[in-house]
Amino acid sequence: MITTLEEKPHVPAAPRKRKVPGWAVGLLGVAGAIVLLSVTSYQTGFLQLTSSGTTQTAVRLALPILLAGLGGLWAERAGVVNIGLEGMMIMGTWGAAWAGYQWGPWAAVIAAVVFGALGGLLHAIATVSFGVNHIVSGVAINLLGAGLTKYLSTLIFEPLSHNPRQSPPVQPFETYSAAGLADWLGELEQGQRLIISDVAGILRGLVTGVSPLTMLTILLVPLSYYLLWRTRFGLRLRSVGENPHAADSLGVKVYFHKYVAVIVSGALAGLGGAALVLNAGQLSYLEGQTGGRGFIGLAAMIFGNWRPGGLLGGAALFGYADGLQLRSGGETVLALVYGVVLLLGVIVVWQLIKRRWFSAAAAIVVAVLLYLLYISLDEIPSEFVSYAPHMVTLAVLAVASQRLRMPAADGVVYRRG
Amino acid sequence: MSSSTSVRTDDPPAVVLTGITKRFPGVVANSDVHLTVRRGEVHALCGENGAGKSTLMKILYGMQAPDEGTIEVNGEQVRFRTPSDAIKAGIGMVHQHFMLADNLTVQENVVLGAEALHGIGQKARKRIIELSGRTGLNVDPGVLVEQLGVADRQRVEILKVLYRGAKVIILDEPTAVLVPQEVNELFDTVRGMQEQGYTFLFISHKLDEVRAIADSVTVIRRGTTVGSADPKTVSSRQLAEMMVGSELPSPETRESTVTDKVVLDVKGLKLMTPDGSRPILDDVDLVVRSGEVVGIAGVEGNGQTELVETIMGMRKAGSGTITLLDKDLTKLGTLARREAGIGYVPEDRHRHGLLLTQPLWYNRILGYQTRKPAAKGIWLDTDGAKKDTERIVSEFDVRTPGIDVPAAALSGGNQQKLVVGRELSGNPVLLIASHPTRGVDVGAQALIWDEIKRARAAGLAVLLISADLDELIGLSDTIKVMLRGRLVADADPNTVTPEDLGSAMTGAGSTSAAVHETAVVEEGEN
Repeated sequence: MITTLEEKPHVPAAPRKRKVPGWAVGLLGVAGAIVLLSVTSYQTGFLQLTSSGTTQTAVRLALPILLAGLGGLWAERAGVVNIGLEGMMIMGTWGAAWAGYQWGPWAAVIAAVVFGALGGLLHAIATVSFGVNHIVSGVAINLLGAGLTKYLSTLIFEPLSHNPRQSPPVQPFETYSAAGLADWLGELEQGQRLIISDVAGILRGLVTGVSPLTMLTILLVPLSYYLLWRTRFGLRLRSVGENPHAADSLGVKVYFHKYVAVIVSGALAGLGGAALVLNAGQLSYLEGQTGGRGFIGLAAMIFGNWRPGGLLGGAALFGYADGLQLRSGGETVLALVYGVVLLLGVIVVWQLIKRRWFSAAAAIVVAVLLYLLYISLDEIPSEFVSYAPHMVTLAVLAVASQRLRMPAADGVVYRRG
Repeated sequence: MSSSTSVRTDDPPAVVLTGITKRFPGVVANSDVHLTVRRGEVHALCGENGAGKSTLMKILYGMQAPDEGTIEVNGEQVRFRTPSDAIKAGIGMVHQHFMLADNLTVQENVVLGAEALHGIGQKARKRIIELSGRTGLNVDPGVLVEQLGVADRQRVEILKVLYRGAKVIILDEPTAVLVPQEVNELFDTVRGMQEQGYTFLFISHKLDEVRAIADSVTVIRRGTTVGSADPKTVSSRQLAEMMVGSELPSPETRESTVTDKVVLDVKGLKLMTPDGSRPILDDVDLVVRSGEVVGIAGVEGNGQTELVETIMGMRKAGSGTITLLDKDLTKLGTLARREAGIGYVPEDRHRHGLLLTQPLWYNRILGYQTRKPAAKGIWLDTDGAKKDTERIVSEFDVRTPGIDVPAAALSGGNQQKLVVGRELSGNPVLLIASHPTRGVDVGAQALIWDEIKRARAAGLAVLLISADLDELIGLSDTIKVMLRGRLVADADPNTVTPEDLGSAMTGAGSTSAAVHETAVVEEGEN
């Protein structure tokens, strides 16, 4: 017999509903970022924060990160951790330069894709067929990418460029600008009106000097989303990353999908390499040119919660931080610190509403420290400035990684049977 | 009993397996298996774990190819190379461990691999909603699977099979994860679908359930079919004896060995969810005495796992005290608690009990790395560990070729015997056993029960958590029911039925007839 001590009515848990769709969150985030930058530039007087020039540089620098991130997205959605993106990107830069100086920019793009894909194929063979630990294989590919390109550059580029670390110059893409629109936006930007001028500046940066590679890259984001989330192939690919045993039991070719995903991943990283080489500022292969952008791309993907939209946001953030330091130097980066203080203020209010006292207190402390930093310095030392994107990566991941959801079988070696 | 009206005997049988033999290196998993399943029936396949049921079903489902023998479906001989071939022939399988991707929606899980039928968009959604009714699934196809409970996940599995047009459905131990009420719902679903012409192959070692649902039963033992039976006339005991090939154990312990000596005393234990929004353990008070088995009943996910892990020190309690023989454990770590005399049989032996890739003697050291016989001073004593592993292997009848094979090479029952043997070594004063016989065969179950009983008679205090209500009622001296993190009811194992317990577990306790009874009610309510 049963003696009931107490009871509560049995309420079945209602299925959790998503209140706001993802695209709306994205739009709100963009709007919030613009308002924040606009207020910051108004308060500090650094108009470069939202100038069209900064935006243009940011876009250029965000491209490789975005492509590396997309590469990471493809691989990890199929359950393969691809820390070898950096190495595949390096192979892409070499391939782009090698084909680019001989046959022009489109050949550079194709060669970069092929070289990157070869790196991806190698990673797939190691991790999928031979079950090598994904991190070990990735690190090996990073080393291999650096070593192989160094050898090939000495062999092929040095006789032409007389420098083993650099390729002969590559012919760039022609760029396009929306002339009428850009002029009109330029007038608005000069108007010095809060928010309107800032938005105009950012938009003008986006429509000026656009290369075909930029357009292609931007298109790859919705295309990846469509392929991965709206097609049968994508469903299978994602199922392989979530539960390969289940996928296998339903007749999904697990190895095939992993191979495709990792090869595409390498191809995208390689394309990222092409974006570096065909960058207006360099136009050649340079040793060490990638500068860890493969890793930053991976960070952008994690920041974006393994989704293309979020990844775009992450890449934009890192590209912006990079572009700002490159274009305007220490003073402006310091202005950005002021913006971060403002952002932290918003976070504090939010945490207080949510009654999370500890988080609120932590945010207040960080905000006060940063504000003290802001008023006590005239500019951030140049030694630090060039690390701005890396710092942003660290800070953002530390804050954002709390609520992320990676594919369930990510990094797990799958064996059939 | 299910109706046999829908069983058609004049048609060719839905499935015929003839002379199936499958060898793996070192073992014969199936030898000369014969099985005939008529169309429209529920055919049960019974056997101990390791008897070869799973291998046989993998062969029928195309996951493995037989070395010898033939498979006929609807009178035609077939040869399956992959599960897709089996699916095409109208055979579907619901796996014991769900084959679902948590982070995908119900719809995505269902259409995966069968996108060619209705695409992955609106058409598929409509078809899923249409089929949902047959399985009793009542959720939107756009919901993520991780938000569903166990019973609904099982329905999604059945839905997957239906969506592919299967007519013969293999259910592999479908009730292992369900509470009695959910089992009844599942059986209603099965009967409803049987009337619509579906054929079921029901794999189980729970014989009462087999007798309740099946139209015919085939028993498999040591890889070969040993006979069939009519579930209407055969008793559970007879069936079980066919399965084991000998006399049968029972969990019953009747002579009480409970003493006054309090071994484990838990007071006011509280634990919050990581985000602090709701309690997982809410003011739990619990006393286990020497020679007493205290059973905790509850639907999975009501805090039993957390209770055990908090007592073991794997989770940090928000407040409350844990005392073992007058020693305060509240601030100690897991190792110190084990050294204080707690033996722990974890609920998932693969995650917490064993290192699967390591040899048996290595596993003997786990948790005893500071104590004899596995350690001498600061050094590990591998010779001592090996010797003691030999002892466990012989005393607990762990069937293994040697103590140097990896734990993964053993069947579930033998792995569990090793874990139980290890945890009963070193003279514990308290044994915490979470689902000690889950997924093990009848032989291992009997041995584990016997060992728990023997240790209890010698004065061991036992905290038993089990989803097998017969085991709980049979072994326990006291049963407490856990619901949403609280101990909400006491039950007397001498009189309570699994049904009463089941309804108390789901929170419907007050409607049960057993609740309104006798003086025990007042006694328990103070």
